[in-house]
Amino acid sequence: MTVVGIIDYRAGNIRSIRNAFEHIGCETRLVTEAAELDGISHVVLPGVGAFAFCMQRLSESGMLPALEQWALVEHRPLLGICVGMQLMARRGLELGDHAGLNWMGGKVLPLVANGARVRVPHVGWNDVTFDDPFGAFTAGSKADFYFDHSFAFFDPEFGETIGRCTHGQDFAAVVRRGNVVAAQFHPEKSQDAGIRFLEGFLAL
Amino acid sequence: MLKKRLIPKLLIQHRQIGSMTRPVLVTTRQFDQSFDVGDPVSQAKIYQAQMADELIVLNIDRTPIGSDELLLGIIERLASETFMPLAVGGGVSSAEDFGRLLDHGADKVVINTVAAENPDIIDAAASQFGAQCVVVSIDYRRDADGTPRVHTDRASRRTGRSVVEWAHEAAQRGAGEIVLVDADRDGTGNGLDCALCAEVAYSLPIPVILSGGCGIASHFSDGFLDGGAEAISAGTFFAFRDQNPIQTRSHVRNSGIDIRMET
Repeated sequence: MTVVGIIDYRAGNIRSIRNAFEHIGCETRLVTEAAELDGISHVVLPGVGAFAFCMQRLSESGMLPALEQWALVEHRPLLGICVGMQLMARRGLELGDHAGLNWMGGKVLPLVANGARVRVPHVGWNDVTFDDPFGAFTAGSKADFYFDHSFAFFDPEFGETIGRCTHGQDFAAVVRRGNVVAAQFHPEKSQDAGIRFLEGFLAL
Repeated sequence: MLKKRLIPKLLIQHRQIGSMTRPVLVTTRQFDQSFDVGDPVSQAKIYQAQMADELIVLNIDRTPIGSDELLLGIIERLASETFMPLAVGGGVSSAEDFGRLLDHGADKVVINTVAAENPDIIDAAASQFGAQCVVVSIDYRRDADGTPRVHTDRASRRTGRSVVEWAHEAAQRGAGEIVLVDADRDGTGNGLDCALCAEVAYSLPIPVILSGGCGIASHFSDGFLDGGAEAISAGTFFAFRDQNPIQTRSHVRNSGIDIRMET
């Protein structure tokens, strides 16, 4: 039975994520404490706002040990979205230098603007190239997803970059470590491609 | 490569029908006359099927949106019945309103008069929600000598401020995107103000969304090529002309501009 648990730590656009999974036909639940992970098959870690703000909220939620048990010990499916992905880095350099969860290693650094060719924030639809297959996306395939961010994930050390995107420079659009997957774009806002991506996650 | 965006604009007014108040989708001409189009949620679903890249949803009644259950309900329905990015505004008065709109399903918040009157709201919202969430919309009209001046309060009050200067200040304070709306071109179909857009876009690192005056598909390619816009937003054009985002997209693509062709 697929039941998607969305971590509600008061730093994410939870409603849209919930709607997208319900559109696919899953039961969804909001998870505000570790005990509520009972009966959940797939966990989603959203995130909107500054890196340090999200990190602090997540630490204060008291759910971190249970999430680490879930993702790193039991290797159960977990999807990070946007800042929920960035938190998995070793460090984040948004508004200072902050420690991340270090699930994937790597760093979150500012995207560099370059005149009219490369604007920051990186807002809109950009193509992601999948280096490894994921769900319906075969290795080498491309699809457009919706991005809205000023910082990006570079060089995961423990996970692999399975989807790449270019905006002035190459950055990790999708990283994966076993059943832990994380995307910089917003699958819940990416129309058909986004739904296919979420279905790929549900197949884990 | 990052694609250029087509953004239908949904303007919403409250209508009294008997004892009920209902939200109605409208379009405007020069920010003045308004024409009823229909139901905002049905129209949004049509735009989604036509592959709109994003939606801008604005309350144009000057009522405070943060406590407007009717409008918050519409945002919630838009977020649950469509899967595309929503930028919402009109009647935002504080950084707390950003939180309320995001909680109801908005992805970005559009501010205009409140930012012009109290620019600190840009810094406050950007530090809490991130620059990518803060969209500063600038309405303007040109003086008799042709100088574009910022207007606030649904373009009814002239501020005397230079549009370029205000756009620069907004970006510096942390705005993630700028929307430029030429109030005199609004709803006329006479073409976009590419000259001013280019002046703003080529002097700023953040994306600029151009709006006001789309009448034919080539106005969109002009806005991208001559205006340097990252996105173009239109209300009347998509609601009333015999044109939809699919046809417009195909014209833009055939002008050599990189734009999304499949979902």
